Amino acid sequence: MKRILAVAVFSVLLLSMPVFAQKTTVTVWFAGTPQGFMDVINNELVPEFEAANPNIDLTVSFVPWGELSTKLATAFAGGVAPDVFMHGGAATAGFAASGRLEPLDSYLAGWPDAADFGATLESGLYKGKRYLVPMFGAGRLLVYRADFFREAGLDPAKPPTTWEELRAAATALAVKKDGRLVREGLDLPIAGIDAQQIWAGLLWQNGGDFFNEDSTKAVFNSPEGVAALEFLVGFIHKDGVTDTRYDVGQSTAPPPMALGKTAMFFAVPEELNQIKTYSPEVYKEVRVALPLKRKAQVTLYSFSGLFLSKDSKHKAQAWEAIKFFGSKSSLAKINASMGTLPPRKSLATADFIAHDPNIKAFVEGMQYGKPNPNIPTWVKCRDALSRYIEKAIFGQLSPKEALDQAAAEVDKILAQQ
Amino acid sequence: MKTWRYYWRNGDRRHVMLMGYLFICPVVIYSLVTAFVPMAVSFYLSFTRYNMLTPAKWVGLANYRTILFADDLFRTALRNTAQYAVEVLPANIILSLGLAVLVNRAIRGITLFRTAYYLPVVTSIIAASMIWLWIYQPDAGLLNLLLSRFFHLPPIDWLGNPRLALHSLVLMRVWKGVGWNMVLYLAGLQGIPGYLYEAAKIDGASPAQQFRAITWPMLKPVTYYIIIMGLISTFQTFGEIYAMTRGGPLDSTTTVGFLIYQRAFSYFEMGEASAIAFILFVIIFGLSLLNVKYFQYRG
Repeated sequence: MKRILAVAVFSVLLLSMPVFAQKTTVTVWFAGTPQGFMDVINNELVPEFEAANPNIDLTVSFVPWGELSTKLATAFAGGVAPDVFMHGGAATAGFAASGRLEPLDSYLAGWPDAADFGATLESGLYKGKRYLVPMFGAGRLLVYRADFFREAGLDPAKPPTTWEELRAAATALAVKKDGRLVREGLDLPIAGIDAQQIWAGLLWQNGGDFFNEDSTKAVFNSPEGVAALEFLVGFIHKDGVTDTRYDVGQSTAPPPMALGKTAMFFAVPEELNQIKTYSPEVYKEVRVALPLKRKAQVTLYSFSGLFLSKDSKHKAQAWEAIKFFGSKSSLAKINASMGTLPPRKSLATADFIAHDPNIKAFVEGMQYGKPNPNIPTWVKCRDALSRYIEKAIFGQLSPKEALDQAAAEVDKILAQQ
Repeated sequence: MKTWRYYWRNGDRRHVMLMGYLFICPVVIYSLVTAFVPMAVSFYLSFTRYNMLTPAKWVGLANYRTILFADDLFRTALRNTAQYAVEVLPANIILSLGLAVLVNRAIRGITLFRTAYYLPVVTSIIAASMIWLWIYQPDAGLLNLLLSRFFHLPPIDWLGNPRLALHSLVLMRVWKGVGWNMVLYLAGLQGIPGYLYEAAKIDGASPAQQFRAITWPMLKPVTYYIIIMGLISTFQTFGEIYAMTRGGPLDSTTTVGFLIYQRAFSYFEMGEASAIAFILFVIIFGLSLLNVKYFQYRG
């Protein structure tokens, strides 16, 4: 009797197990904590996904960008990494080289929507494999004030298109009083990632690049790179139309363009949003220009998106989640909530873009976009480069000396790779 | 009542020992988990290359060699940190002693002043940094506003000028730390017996002489404590650097503490970061030891 009972209980347990096991939990870490973005994910997309996939439970967290890499590294080291996580395309190489990412090529092959992403899928390309489904992007374009253009006798409908025109416009737009600059012709970041990114755009426009073909050697100290840095430094030291206002860590200050302290600067869409929030009046006068052209018409565009962890135990379900967040309707909502650039071609005509000519210009500029190099030690190379660009901007080193020394340091980093 | 001594002499010693260990258990476990084990692991990591994503690889003394002999940024950081400490400590000691003498009297409303000077101490360093970022902001900041209104000075970029940035941070740090040391000095002042001053007065000593012959020597233990604690905390400076300058401009505010953070959490070079941390430990330990010797020798 006892034995029969035990067998019966055991078989009931055994039978009921698949019922419990059917529900899988997929954890997703999103990067960034803008309220609108979190609301869209939490209140709209997650319920929608769970209703459509009753067997998958989504556990979603939002990690501030500044803590993202640290938290991910700790989670991977502790064996508790999320199944799916968001990061910038430039993070691909580091994680992929450490074997923490699942290549998505075979998944993408079975997803008809993949074609709609076009070249943005290349943001997550490392050693011929794709790892990223882009969610949103940002680019750097020249932003200017139409009212200041008119005041200086320039045509706001004809923004600078070449280096020479940019320089002429900056000189015409600068306003000096008692020998002091009260309005910059062109505001430039003088340090950090921002300075490096703007120089990168000029480097590419001038036909130069960061590394050689197989990313084993720095080539950014080429004559093209030096000319680009000389051009940049010229605004400060030769023309005197740019202040050396230090702006690292000071994002709390009002945007200089909103205060009327500068006529032009190279902006990412988020900075447009800041101007809009700070002064809707000024924003009406803000315009966006397409990238400058020299040997090439190009500027930095980068995309962030979702990666699939190699450690994930539910890759099929995790891929379902990635596909869902990458769907056209999800991406429309996500990008509208942050004013970011949607990676899908079919979204270029979405409502929130059509309503704002400036965002539209950013979407239009995407065709000239180029991402940062995807190498595992990018952050370290970038910071080394930024430090030397800063030295050139402060006049401590000549542009050539700065880039030669930066190249020597970057070569050492690449050799360790 | 029977004490543990009674049981130790007459009863089960093992039981007494067990009870003792049980009582210290919470703090021992706490220190083990939060301090000693991480320290040991970090010491081990300082001999490896470890990026948290792939297993640590033993490299022997390579990290120490690189940092000590081939790392310009470490040298810059060490110099900045030393300069920071050298500026902060004396300013802090002079000011806090002065304030302590000022508020060490029984006048009405003195607690209000004591509280006011102490307030920055209990303010979080990040919150204080945000306020000082605004004070130092070149275009719209409070300091430049005052300077231009009253002295007609052109705007100064307090944090953006590589020659000024570190000093600007020193000023803020002194403001932040002076209240803490003031309280220590105040306690020290109140512990000096009044008869010493009475005797000095009878002997005809001026207030300056009283200060030199009584107050300052009697406060020596406090000063000694303040110097050691100040050295330790200034050498570990990180919060305001992270919040205000990120080590720039031109690395002029990169401190050793910030460098450790950068190596560990921007570049994920846990090995190098740990090695820098242990070098920093040796430096602080050495300085503290020197300090102890100096004070022992002098009195």
